[in-house]
Amino acid sequence: MRLDPRTKLYMVFVVSLIVMMSATTPFLWAIRLSITLIPIILMILEKKYSSALKFLLAYASALVLTFYFLSEQSEGLIASLLIGYCGIVVQFMPAIITAWYVVRTTKIGEFMSCMQKMHVPDGIAVSLAVVMRFFPTIKEEYSSINDAMRMRGVMLGGGNVLRMFEFRMIPLLFSCVNIGEELSAAAITRGLGGENKRSSLIELKLGLADYLLMAFLTASTVIFVVYKYLL
Amino acid sequence: MSIIDLENVNFQYKGSRDGSLNNINLHIEKGQTVLLCGASGSGKTSIIRLINGLIPHYYSGELEGDIRVAGHDIKQTELHKLAGTVGTVFQNPRSQFFSVDTDGEIVFGPENIGLEPKEIKARLNDVVAEMDLDEILGRSIFNLSGGQKQRIACASVAALLPDVILLDEPSSNLDFDSIELLRGIIMEWKRQGKTIVISEHRLWYLKDAVDRVIYMENGKIAREWTGDEFNSLGEEEVKTYKLRPVVLEEELIRDIRGESTSLFCDVENNIELKDFFFSYKTRPYLLFKKKFKESDGDLLNLNIPSLKIPKGKVIGLVGPNGTGKSTFLRCLCGLEGDCKGKIVFDGKTYKGRQILKICYLVMQDVNHQLFTDSVKSEVMLSMKDEDEKRCDEILESLGLLGYKDTHPMALSGGQKQRVAIASAIASGAEILLFDEPTSGLDYSHMEKVGELLQELASMGASVIVSTHDPELISECCDYVLGIKHGKAVYLKKNKEL
Repeated sequence: MRLDPRTKLYMVFVVSLIVMMSATTPFLWAIRLSITLIPIILMILEKKYSSALKFLLAYASALVLTFYFLSEQSEGLIASLLIGYCGIVVQFMPAIITAWYVVRTTKIGEFMSCMQKMHVPDGIAVSLAVVMRFFPTIKEEYSSINDAMRMRGVMLGGGNVLRMFEFRMIPLLFSCVNIGEELSAAAITRGLGGENKRSSLIELKLGLADYLLMAFLTASTVIFVVYKYLL
Repeated sequence: MSIIDLENVNFQYKGSRDGSLNNINLHIEKGQTVLLCGASGSGKTSIIRLINGLIPHYYSGELEGDIRVAGHDIKQTELHKLAGTVGTVFQNPRSQFFSVDTDGEIVFGPENIGLEPKEIKARLNDVVAEMDLDEILGRSIFNLSGGQKQRIACASVAALLPDVILLDEPSSNLDFDSIELLRGIIMEWKRQGKTIVISEHRLWYLKDAVDRVIYMENGKIAREWTGDEFNSLGEEEVKTYKLRPVVLEEELIRDIRGESTSLFCDVENNIELKDFFFSYKTRPYLLFKKKFKESDGDLLNLNIPSLKIPKGKVIGLVGPNGTGKSTFLRCLCGLEGDCKGKIVFDGKTYKGRQILKICYLVMQDVNHQLFTDSVKSEVMLSMKDEDEKRCDEILESLGLLGYKDTHPMALSGGQKQRVAIASAIASGAEILLFDEPTSGLDYSHMEKVGELLQELASMGASVIVSTHDPELISECCDYVLGIKHGKAVYLKKNKEL
């Protein structure tokens, strides 16, 4: 299924909004859970089964732990670590997974076209597009660096957390800066940054799925806010 | 009528003497194909950057003189206005793509200059038909081979219909067959009457393609040949200019494409590789992964049941891109955990994690394997027991002692490579693997790498070097190992040594 990037952006916004407001009653939890299921269903539709499953397991186990095994009276190191871990997963994972879905399934061309439709200035659109373009680059560079570290036997930085971090970050930063510089030189020679309004080959159109999803997201938000704050 | 005019141009980069230009006068006629050659740092890339306006608009420095390209005064013209006039194909496919998908990349330029969607679509179709890109359309750029990436780069430049096309060392990351395709693209542009300027170290594929050859030395134009003079340059003469050969021997070409017919030669003092099987396609599994076997055949990306390779020699690893060279190197140095290969070395059998201890891969992008803030600590990091004396010895033998306290990132490319080698030696690795160490190097730097590899072998290390440079093979390899479709297809003695 092809969703319009505008719908996707709206989804990122709504999902983040709802998961950030704390759910206090079972009804509010129900809304929150149904919102969380949307990106999972979308991922399954995109045939990203393993990611969907991993996320579902992590999220479900965090929920079960929070509700059945942990309470405000929990004590001890393990319990406190678990509270932290579960809190982060329950609170942030839905937003992260939605963002991940959007980045993975949106082509740069679509994204640029969407930004133009929303009358976002080219400067901002281009910067955001470069950020999206950089994710796979960082991943590629990072895995080469990891290989190099495995060969040197310094994966754990000799037990020193700071060095573990340093060894990964220094080469990564150097290569990203270099790639960034060459990338912008190449983009400028192909006319990026001119006064002409950019055009776009991809013409976006909202379809039925887009309208349905947006309506559902809006309705959920309204109901959530009304039940939480006004009733 | 000349389309590119450089008149009395002097240029120096801010804060660096490298690549500066000294009194350049160059006039290029419309429709000419010009080759710029010469050592690294002689100013080839600077000339390319003058023509596409990156100097002075992107790379700043002191610039004097007049530069005119197709009626534009470069100094006064903003870069984006040149987009439809001058197109540039860069050296590194990793860093010249703006999009993540191939279609998006080709239309990126036309979108930037604000063409109508209909026109963009038409240009996309034209370029795809012209360069035969159907099969790689709609794919992620991150999953393409180097050759495919470079074809997309050419296509995305062509989509802007520039009159002037510049290529800055375009063949650096390509294998033999991809270079042939690149030559085809250049010939097609030539036929269309484009003006083409190519800066390049590899010369053989440009024979019979160029009209003029400019030889650069220390920022000056030191010599010029016509195309015919260049085609008939003798081997010796080419060498005196420190250029790579213009003509390749037939046998070397067969070697490099993995098409040599000779079979496996016997080696007495050997290292034995056993059960090297690997596939990138993962199979569904529940509790444990199934081991790969020889009988898995086509499923395997690497299929070497047993292979004896000479010890203490330099072995050139050849074969087309994407047929298993890198996979072989990665499995051999233990980076692919799913590969259960064993190495029999000096009567001992190494497998699994032990392999990581005796094999060391010097990566193509050596920046990835330098972590620390000085050359000395880089070497010490690799040692099990830190031994300063041994560290000095190693640095001495690689000519790095003077740079002991320098930050590795402040060194030149060749020096970085030697730092990586130093840490490999310090880690006690006996088998040193090199992944295309000479791509993008000029002749004298390549010669130096060749000498270094020979030196490592004479110190007792076994060196395996994957390469697309026939020149490097004739320079330093004792043996040539061909890999095709994941299988070792031949191992032969290199006749020249």
